[in-house]
Amino acid sequence: MRTPRAAYPVTWRVMDMLERLAAAVWPSSFQRGLPYLMLLPAVVLVGLLVLGLVQIGDTSLRVLDTNTFLMSEDYTLANYQRVLTENFFATVAGRSLMGSLIVTAITLLFAFPYAYLMVRTPSSALRKFLLVALFLPFFIGQVVRAYGWLIILGNQGMVNEALGLVGVPPMRLLYNYPAVLFGLVQYMLPFAVLMLAPALTAIPNELEAAAASLGAGWVRTFRHVVLPLSRPGLVGAGLVVVTLSLTDFAIPAILGGGTQDFIANAIYDQFFRTSDQGLGATLSLMLVAVGSILVGVVFMLFGAGTLAMGETRK
Amino acid sequence: MGVVDAEQPAVEPHDRIAVSVKDVSMVFGNVHAVKSASFDLPKGRFLTILGPSGSGKTTLLRMIAGFDRPTGGEIFINGQPVSAVPPHGRAIGMVFQKLALFPHMTAAENVAFPLKMRRHDARRILEKVERYLDLVRLGGYGNRRINELSGGQQQRVAIARALVFEPDLLLLDEPLAALDRKLREEMQLEFRRIQKELGVTTINVTHDQREALVVSDEIIVMNGGSIQQKARPVDAYRAPSNAFVANFIGVTNFVEGRVVELAGSRATIEANGLHLAGLAADATLAGGKPCAGAVRAEQIRVAPKDGHLDGLETVVDGLVVDCIFEGERVVYEIRVPQLGDVLMRVFDHDPESHLQFGPGDAVRLGWNARDMHVFAK
Repeated sequence: MRTPRAAYPVTWRVMDMLERLAAAVWPSSFQRGLPYLMLLPAVVLVGLLVLGLVQIGDTSLRVLDTNTFLMSEDYTLANYQRVLTENFFATVAGRSLMGSLIVTAITLLFAFPYAYLMVRTPSSALRKFLLVALFLPFFIGQVVRAYGWLIILGNQGMVNEALGLVGVPPMRLLYNYPAVLFGLVQYMLPFAVLMLAPALTAIPNELEAAAASLGAGWVRTFRHVVLPLSRPGLVGAGLVVVTLSLTDFAIPAILGGGTQDFIANAIYDQFFRTSDQGLGATLSLMLVAVGSILVGVVFMLFGAGTLAMGETRK
Repeated sequence: MGVVDAEQPAVEPHDRIAVSVKDVSMVFGNVHAVKSASFDLPKGRFLTILGPSGSGKTTLLRMIAGFDRPTGGEIFINGQPVSAVPPHGRAIGMVFQKLALFPHMTAAENVAFPLKMRRHDARRILEKVERYLDLVRLGGYGNRRINELSGGQQQRVAIARALVFEPDLLLLDEPLAALDRKLREEMQLEFRRIQKELGVTTINVTHDQREALVVSDEIIVMNGGSIQQKARPVDAYRAPSNAFVANFIGVTNFVEGRVVELAGSRATIEANGLHLAGLAADATLAGGKPCAGAVRAEQIRVAPKDGHLDGLETVVDGLVVDCIFEGERVVYEIRVPQLGDVLMRVFDHDPESHLQFGPGDAVRLGWNARDMHVFAK
């Protein structure tokens, strides 16, 4: 009996026992249902959000009675009419949309070389440094980082003090549109790099060597080989940056100082300042709609952004 | 040209040298990947650099292509030093190990790529792409995407792309290694046909000795970063310059011993008390020094124990250990007690006598003195 025992170690015994137990609890005929069961938590979570959306839709159809501060009983489209006609909302929406597009363009422009260097450098030390530098800002929350910029860019901030040393009078660097865009780019850069890196890793090094041997210098290798092949990564990163900037709250609030509101800030004001939940709900739905349309258009143009290899020629 | 007119006779042969590698070395950190390699390759020849992995053959190829810069020595292409020229400035077509076709382009676009990069006339590009796709027998496949082509077809696109701009030199970096055997052998012949048809100077890198013998005009055998031998395939096979080459190309049996007598090209060695006659194949042989006698598996004849092996100078007794049927031949593994229980492999290509011996049978083996090459150890 000794040899069989030696040939059947304790760990195997435990695993076999667990497997027998699992088979008793969960017969193999149930196996086909397992993937769906694992999908369930995610579906429940998303489902809750959809329920919330229905609730918001309901609220958006009621107007606030300013005398009683109660929502009206009847359904009306008055909120939608206000949002679509009043200049203030058009300004906020235009500012948010334009801002998110500018931020996306600048972020991708900065993120691409960063991701490329991180993926292609032969030095593992440099790669590690770039990765750590990328993750470090994640440990500092968005709000804290925005306050950091207040300290650096404020009227008595480091930048203005440094300018003062060379005789330049203090400049207003905060509470304007460029400050908000600057803050957003700085916030989005790590996301974009992290989305781009896997896409660039998927382009074999050999393709660039091949392009070189076929007569392409680095500019044309980049234009004809690297750029078209990194399109899925660029689309993915672009989508993430566009949607996150479009819906951002903290940076326009802090670096814009109330003068550069994005849609999320306007929604916040309706819910928590004027308590007009109906108007807030309407704005929320419009934001969801604009975001969805944007993503939908990108998906239609680039084929879900994942496998852009199989179609449209360059 | 006028300046060198006076030296015309001396310069003339250089015109026919496509690639000249002079004392080229490559050091990565403390690894000496290539140790002062030198060779000349005349125009229009097909050279194969053969060696095990880590022998430096791929490093040498990458230096010729321009991806790595030699740490010592110089490479000349058509007489011009090229160390300072980037890959895209050299007129070299290369077929990569993993082919490196552009997945976002069609077959025709891949082939057109080098022409577009070289700013050829757009109207002539189409016609040229067509011609080269025909050359690799892919006429009509131009509009296919790369992932719609089979492995062999992708190989052909890669060849067409490397040749379409009429490069000075074609480099093949083990492009056949990943193919299955039948397709590989077919593509070897295809490479040979295309190379002969276009007359393009070609350097191929492989660890497959059969491929080297089949496709090449010349073979360079490398080991440990050094060139071991440069010869025509038939010479590398028949007259290997050292024990490594003898072992790497073909199936070779080694009998270890000591040199007892050297007389011209004839060497007599003493192994386990037996005196064996062989061919001195190594200039460094000296009396009394340890040596190894190498005999090819197909040069040894086998007979039953009481049989005769007439005309063979060396005859020993052996015991069959294993008998492997490989289809077109049988491989016997035979233990030879007289030579210190050395295990010898012997091929039997005679279909009449297939499987005439089985494990445990006592047999007699013999070979000619001229078939045993003696190398210094």
